[in-house]
Amino acid sequence: MSSLYDIPRQYIIELANDGVIHYTFTYAFVVNGLLCALVVGPLLGGIGTMVVAKRMAFFSQAVGNAALTGVAIGVILGESYTAPYVSMFSFCVLFGLFLNFTRNRTKMSSDTLIGVFLSISLAIGATALLWVSAKVNTHILDTVMFGSILTVNDTDITVLLVTALLTGATALPLFNHMLLASLNPSLAHVRGIKVHWLEYVFVLLVTILTVACVKIIGAVLVEALLLIPAAAARNLTRSLRGFVLLSIAFSTVSCLVGIYAPMRYDLPVPSGGAIILTGAAIFLVTMIIRMTVPRYREAAI
Amino acid sequence: MRGPSIEFTNVSLDLGNTRILDDVSFRIRAGTIHCIVGANGGGKTSLIRSLLGQMPHSGSIRIEWRQERVIGYVPQALEFDRSLPITVLDFMAMTTQRRPVFLGVSRARLRMIEAVLERMGINGKFNAKLGSLSGGECQRVLFAQALIPEPALLVLDEPMTGLDLTGRKILEEEIVAFAGAGGTVVWVNHDIVQVNEFADAMTYVNRTVLLDGAPDDVLTSGMATHLFPTLALPARAVSGA
Repeated sequence: MSSLYDIPRQYIIELANDGVIHYTFTYAFVVNGLLCALVVGPLLGGIGTMVVAKRMAFFSQAVGNAALTGVAIGVILGESYTAPYVSMFSFCVLFGLFLNFTRNRTKMSSDTLIGVFLSISLAIGATALLWVSAKVNTHILDTVMFGSILTVNDTDITVLLVTALLTGATALPLFNHMLLASLNPSLAHVRGIKVHWLEYVFVLLVTILTVACVKIIGAVLVEALLLIPAAAARNLTRSLRGFVLLSIAFSTVSCLVGIYAPMRYDLPVPSGGAIILTGAAIFLVTMIIRMTVPRYREAAI
Repeated sequence: MRGPSIEFTNVSLDLGNTRILDDVSFRIRAGTIHCIVGANGGGKTSLIRSLLGQMPHSGSIRIEWRQERVIGYVPQALEFDRSLPITVLDFMAMTTQRRPVFLGVSRARLRMIEAVLERMGINGKFNAKLGSLSGGECQRVLFAQALIPEPALLVLDEPMTGLDLTGRKILEEEIVAFAGAGGTVVWVNHDIVQVNEFADAMTYVNRTVLLDGAPDDVLTSGMATHLFPTLALPARAVSGA
């Protein structure tokens, strides 16, 4: 697999060596980051529109935090602390599925239920971290929390690519159904859509996507990239097409700038932070446009 | 088109500790307009949702299909986040096609959607944001989506809510034409004058069936004068089947 990545990697490195693009791209890890950005950006931007439309923002936040707990559990169980994917995936998937199951059964409002689950997961995480701190240098956990493209290796790229393909292949054919199910479940059911089943699929998608992106953006910040580009796109558009395409564009630009800018200008910012700050800047601009341009005027209250 | 007949037999529904429906039995004939009438909270929407298989009811609801099982459903209202960037076309395409809406709508599908929106008198709102529509316009869109693909059974949950006179007339004509072509209509309706004018049969439900039959017979019964004390019906414009 790694030799497969060498082809685009070598190509970009040669371009940098020849002076066509900036010299920072002569470093393989920068190119790794760039490749990841090109996968993560469109994926999170696209799925993010669904997260916003389905009002699942708080859920993705909770999954991000659950990933942290998953890492702590992984370290305790003896997994590699730089890539404890098995524990992260397992804990987050269980977390997401159990949360959705409870929501379906209790009909409790999502924000209350997610709040409860989030606290429980954090409490487990905090307890586990205490154990972990005795075993490893907790600074390593910074990587998990805030992302670090310096440590992205071929395994991470593979995990990301497989996740991207899986998520894309699942989400695209189900896009209309998922959206209709959130607009009016009853109408969706009459149209033969399995509403509850789709909820589980969506929860799974967000969960594995979050976990796969932890390395590059960080557990604490990954949900921000699910939200901010979609929220920014929503500021400027009235159609679904514009919503999805703008969100993908904003997300990809955020990823590319967030990875490139700190290298290029020698800024002491982790990749995750830089990506989200870029997204936030885009959001601010769209907000100002929305507030000032007459075509977006709406009811005051 | 050949609509189904429907048979409700001893249908009961309990939600929590509340009995919503109690031993409801009646029959809906194929190819007729059948109105479900009743007081607020009397279980009309629950009855409809039991028919659609969305409620944990007991008893049996048998739909005898005579052609492909296609139900057109118009829910009471579309409750959603009005700020979502979804146009009328997006919504129509989302309900009727598999291809993700943001990747576009096929030309054939587009023509089909244009045609029903035109019939509903809202083709000018094609690219309007769904959240910016008035209540009546939204009802027309909801009705339009129920017509694609062509249904054999139309289930309408108070589709006239918020409609102006023109809108009412358009929907009334559509419903009559649909039943005239052989489709079956189950229509939750509060407007007893409208029921009298258009329904072939009506069932008054308040937890259980209180009245059932042709409006002509039912509305002149002693029970009807008790249930609709202020009822003053004009002469029937369309004669029932």
